[in-house]
Amino acid sequence: MFELVQRIEIDAPGGRASGVAAVPADHPALLDHFPDRPLLPGTWCLELAAQIAGPLVEEALGDGRFAVLAMVQRARFIAPVELPTTVHIEAVITRREPSTTVVETTVFRGGLLRARAELVFAHVGGATPAAIAARDTRLARWKVG
Amino acid sequence: MITLDVVRELVRETLALRPTDEVRSDQLLFYDLGFTSMDLLDLLFRIEERFAIAIPEGTLYRLARGDLDDAAFAERSILTAVGRERLMALLSDTPPQVFPATIHAATLPRYATVAAIARLVDHQRESR
Repeated sequence: MFELVQRIEIDAPGGRASGVAAVPADHPALLDHFPDRPLLPGTWCLELAAQIAGPLVEEALGDGRFAVLAMVQRARFIAPVELPTTVHIEAVITRREPSTTVVETTVFRGGLLRARAELVFAHVGGATPAAIAARDTRLARWKVG
Repeated sequence: MITLDVVRELVRETLALRPTDEVRSDQLLFYDLGFTSMDLLDLLFRIEERFAIAIPEGTLYRLARGDLDDAAFAERSILTAVGRERLMALLSDTPPQVFPATIHAATLPRYATVAAIARLVDHQRESR
């Protein structure tokens, strides 16, 4: 699930993050989407955006809680994204509440806007040490790029 | 349309109810209509957009607390006896037996009716 993101840069005080994800045309889950015209599903755009926005929220919280995607608002898929692809994702925190954070995300390919969505994350505590360790390992890998 | 009618419409949208499904002003969001915390969040976002207002988290808490000190209203996030009275006065259309003896500050929206949400909207509109 998390193998597609290649790199992430987080400016937690500024409430911004950016990242790069690469999706191959022969990804096992996408072989039938579609056989003669491989396309990145819109739902995967949202997922990749959430994978960039989530760590931003978690670092902005700074208290160990996880940011769990709770709601997708006003999602727009501007144009199809053909595979293979490398997409650039931007995330900006637009609203902070005690229990939730709202992030505006945009997905670009080749400098062109391909999707945008407003994502609402719920702040969830009580994670196990194993889950926290897995998150930290993943984030460290992404930050190195 | 009056605020209550719009709120009822937004409740229907939030729960994906049919236009003919009844949503009464005296129904409790959580106990009668089966709201979850995510449903409430969804409803509040819809309300904010429709009415062009902001309803920050904790608005109901602040309205119930009024001019009381935080310490007088809630102790370790549990409403004091005075705090509970203030909440019940604010949500006067909720049957008294709905309010448990111990009320956690994070659960206040659970005791709100559809009409109470409409009153909240009117308050926020007037406060703009």
